[in-house]
Amino acid sequence: MGNRGAIRLESLTRSYGRVVALDDVDLEVRAGEMITLVGPSGSGKSTILRLIAGLDRPDQGRIVVDGQDVVRVPPHRRAVAMVFQDYALYPHLTVLGNLLFGLRVRRVRRAEAERRARAAADRLGIADLLDRYPDQTSGGQRQRIALARALLREPTVYLLDEPLASLDAPLRFATRADLLALHRELGTTTIHVTHDQAEAMTLGDRVAVLDRGRVRQIGPPQQVYDEPADTFVAGFLGSPPMNLVPGGGVLGGAAGLILGVRPEDLALDTDGPIEATVEAAEALGSETILLTRCPDGTRLTVRTGPRPGVRPGEGVRLRPDPGRLHRFDAETGRRR
Amino acid sequence: MTSGRARPPLTAWAFLAPYAVAVGLLIVLPALLNLGYAFTDHTGLTRDPQFVGLANVRRMLSDGFLLDSVQASAIHLALAVPLRLLAAVGLGLLLAAPRPGGRWFRVAVYLPTVVPDVALAVIFLWVLNPLYGPLNQLLGLFGHPGFTWLSDPGTARVAVALMLVFPIGEGFLVVLAARRLLDGRLYEAAALEGCGPFGQLRRLTLPMLAPVLLLLAVRDTILTLQVNFVPAYVLTDGRPANATLYLPVYIFDQAFEFSSFAYGALITSVLMVVTAVVITALLLVVRRWRVLR
Repeated sequence: MGNRGAIRLESLTRSYGRVVALDDVDLEVRAGEMITLVGPSGSGKSTILRLIAGLDRPDQGRIVVDGQDVVRVPPHRRAVAMVFQDYALYPHLTVLGNLLFGLRVRRVRRAEAERRARAAADRLGIADLLDRYPDQTSGGQRQRIALARALLREPTVYLLDEPLASLDAPLRFATRADLLALHRELGTTTIHVTHDQAEAMTLGDRVAVLDRGRVRQIGPPQQVYDEPADTFVAGFLGSPPMNLVPGGGVLGGAAGLILGVRPEDLALDTDGPIEATVEAAEALGSETILLTRCPDGTRLTVRTGPRPGVRPGEGVRLRPDPGRLHRFDAETGRRR
Repeated sequence: MTSGRARPPLTAWAFLAPYAVAVGLLIVLPALLNLGYAFTDHTGLTRDPQFVGLANVRRMLSDGFLLDSVQASAIHLALAVPLRLLAAVGLGLLLAAPRPGGRWFRVAVYLPTVVPDVALAVIFLWVLNPLYGPLNQLLGLFGHPGFTWLSDPGTARVAVALMLVFPIGEGFLVVLAARRLLDGRLYEAAALEGCGPFGQLRRLTLPMLAPVLLLLAVRDTILTLQVNFVPAYVLTDGRPANATLYLPVYIFDQAFEFSSFAYGALITSVLMVVTAVVITALLLVVRRWRVLR
């Protein structure tokens, strides 16, 4: 299975009325890879999933799966399985009924279908839920049911649309690890959509950042984080976002450029070159976020350790890590 | 008041009172009076009805017309309820999806419901006219000689049911609204599994609408046993050969035309029993089929 499921999107374009959801998108997904599409709402990431699944058709462009253009192939002939954001479990069927649904539609014999459904349920640890209805299960269990249903499709590509968005924070953390483990075990190409930048960093071999229907940058998460291709990516990945100073300002004058520095690359240093006043301090337990303002009005966010010993209203001096300054073109926003 | 058992506060009863009074005065009291009248010789014209015991019941047991009437009602029920449900559900599902011009089709489906039933019946007198009625002319296009709709018992029954297939607005609206509440993603998930339009109808839409459909079936059963009065009165007046002498028509005849108010009152109770039996049977079947969770 590991060598199947290579996907190539070629100049894919899709508009809904006057809204351009996808604008000439090229994207290559290697077989067996887990790739994360991340971007704000309306960036086109879900549209890409729907086009690959065949729930929608592009205005232009090709979707090539394992060397074959599938644009005209109906959804059920494409070997893709999709996990929807709210899981789309059939409310009138038991969990077992939900798992059997696709098998029965594909006319798998009842006994064989049930054997496979139980095996998938075992694998995801939901074997004791089979007689329940979806509304009698928890959010995390529903997510597993949806995954088991996708598993039974035996696809060459998994499409996960915000699979963790409906879970609460602790569960999300655990499920993230489970998803990764499952992907490693199956080795099946997986495209995962999220608007959560923490998920984008942790899930997936590569991450593609989308904005307004265009791919802004694609690469391994750490690389995209360390070397954002433009000011949008710089501002989107990382929380709190990168400090961007047009013209360089307090970070050192640079005409025609926007200078950027991540909050963790600004250190409190009594000999530091930047003078600033603390406006607010957010203690997050393991770290503290300082919101500061320089005399020229520039606001800088600083990530520092717990208990930094400064209060709002106090003056501090900051030292940027010179090796971690980012330079962007003021006109285009592109990295220079 | 003992602790632990909460009693509804007085305000609740106060809010309930107007409705309760109306139900008591307009429904419960007349129903009880009606049941009482069934055992008298009340003609509807005199003031002092006398108690006659089971005389009306004995009359009922040897009444051939009543048998015809029950039969006419049963056949009408078997014709009209499935047709009306099929029309309401079919059109509701077809027109639920937003599409250009859809609103005009929805208006068209609802419109006959707004037309007073007497007016609709008069229109149908024209539609069903064997000489110049459009229905026979339509049949003529296919080389069929047409029917003498209202003179033949079989076609008269069909004709009344046919007319009642048009005022289905409420059922149509309920199906439309219920269908629009269903999550579109379920259909996308099913499409990914290879479930086509008919599969989706059978495996998703109908099972998920089952509670609504059951409600409509029960409601339509009650309604169909009663609303056939006007069409029968205008179109056929219970004829030919008592084919459309539905229970409400027969009750009206007895109570107000033949001065047998008490006997009419008894048959009204029969109509209620028939309704209850049909609905109980319906619910038993549904439970057997496990349509509902």
